[in-house]
Amino acid sequence: MTKDSLQKLEKLYQLCLTEEEKEGVIAFFAKQDDEFAALENIDTANVERMVHVMPILTVVREDVEKKLFTREELQRNAPETMDGYWQVPRLVE
Amino acid sequence: MRYETVIGLEVHIELATESKIFCSCSAKFGGEQNDHVCPACCGMPGMLPIVNKHVVDLGMAAGMMLNCDINRVTTFDKKSYYYPDLPCSYQTTQWFAPVSVNGRVDIETSKGKKSIRIKQIHMEEDAGKLVHDDWTNTSLVDFNRTSVPLIEIVSQPDLSSAEEVIAYLERLRSLLRFAKVSECRMEQGSMRCDVNLSVRPEGSDVLGVRTEMKNMNSLSAIARAIEYETARHIDAIENGTEELVQETRRWDDTKGASFAMRNKETAGDYRYFPDPNVMPIVIDDEWFNTVKSNLPEFPEVKKARYIDELGLAEGDAEHLIQSRAFCDCFEGAYEVCGNAKEAANWLIFDCSKILNQKQQTVDQLNISGKALGELIKLVLDEKVSRANAKKILSAMFEEELDPAEYAKANGFIVSNDTGAMESVIAAVIAADPKSVNDYKNGKEKALMALFGKCMKELKGNCNPQVLREMLLKSIENA
Ligand SMILES: [Zn+2]
Repeated sequence: MTKDSLQKLEKLYQLCLTEEEKEGVIAFFAKQDDEFAALENIDTANVERMVHVMPILTVVREDVEKKLFTREELQRNAPETMDGYWQVPRLVE
Repeated sequence: MRYETVIGLEVHIELATESKIFCSCSAKFGGEQNDHVCPACCGMPGMLPIVNKHVVDLGMAAGMMLNCDINRVTTFDKKSYYYPDLPCSYQTTQWFAPVSVNGRVDIETSKGKKSIRIKQIHMEEDAGKLVHDDWTNTSLVDFNRTSVPLIEIVSQPDLSSAEEVIAYLERLRSLLRFAKVSECRMEQGSMRCDVNLSVRPEGSDVLGVRTEMKNMNSLSAIARAIEYETARHIDAIENGTEELVQETRRWDDTKGASFAMRNKETAGDYRYFPDPNVMPIVIDDEWFNTVKSNLPEFPEVKKARYIDELGLAEGDAEHLIQSRAFCDCFEGAYEVCGNAKEAANWLIFDCSKILNQKQQTVDQLNISGKALGELIKLVLDEKVSRANAKKILSAMFEEELDPAEYAKANGFIVSNDTGAMESVIAAVIAADPKSVNDYKNGKEKALMALFGKCMKELKGNCNPQVLREMLLKSIENA
């Protein structure tokens, strides 16, 4: 992790870190990077890709429509709503 | 110097399911804002996704129609980006093991036949919709479309002109409509297409700078966007008018130009990783074979069969295969009435006319082939007149009905009661001696007028041949 790559991540995650926090994050990742580098040394050429950590499969459901909640219930804890919409700060593309 | 255009397409298709991909909310288009939502699809903490089996069916069916290999172990991954139309801040999609891979679509253009390779088809969820409110200066979020199932069909960069792109999209649409994967309606947004385009000197094997264009909502807009973007690239290369950069551009069809949106994030920036909330899906032989056995005949196989085995004219066969609903209805009607030409005509002329009046598309045809066949049989057996059969057909578009019973109940059955015909003819002749004289003096049209009046009196329920003969006889004796 460098100052540059952290800056890129800050933008992606919409974070705003203080200089002090930034240094903490960089120091933390410096340690992590070393540990991952050690993993890179393991030969995985003949190992099948692990699709999931748990040896269980998904449960699927039939395509049946059900209405379980009303809009009012769902928006009860919304900070702001308007005409049945969730209301958020304006976004400009 | 001569240039060639290199185009790859990403086509998003909304699947024809009842419910969403990871929850039971309605996937129907429309509805009041936030009416088709639940805690899962609006991203409340602690909710877990449960995969809709039919989405996997359709992902496989699409793959099979496009000659893909099916990944028998398929998994979902998280694609992270931050935007209020995405309540979880990630989209659940497929990155590492998409449901279908390595396919092929064959197209035909004025330059001949060509195969377009398909890289992959993956299943994913749609995002919500934002409305910007100027009055309050806020954005309003509607999650009805959130988690509606999509497949994205990613082609290899094998296309080289607007003509090829359109042929490819039309082919996709036809195959996927046939397999009932989607209605693929661009104007409703159930088929959306992003165009990746670059330009290079002819014969070069180095790809030029690639731009991605979005926001085209018709085939003709796609053609215009490709022409424009190709010219812009060539101009930049030859005249240095601007520096080409890899970016996403929005097509503005009214201005006829594309505009830069934002720097294209590279795949790494989406931080794809396996979704720990959705376990792998294993497609066993039974599941695979069920989907495979439900696939329809390919449209061109149907067309050839209609021409060779059922004796339809090429134009009629071509017309029918534009829609799976028409084909199904045609085949059902033919089975009952045994007359392919009649069945085709009733669909191509009469049913199309009614659909037109109702402002519905051919895919919305919802009368049963069996009922249409029975109706045609009534006409062929001269039990119902053609004019009255058309009235019955209109009623069939409004409600499910048995044509024979409906004809009986509404007095549409042709009567062989010659006594009734004779009295009607006598009354018509007595009321219009002028037409009788005109006919006797050689005016053929006068006979038609008298015939029409009799038909009207009899409500169309008589054998026209018999009526004509009886009428002629009565005029002679008048
Ligand atoms: Zn839901």
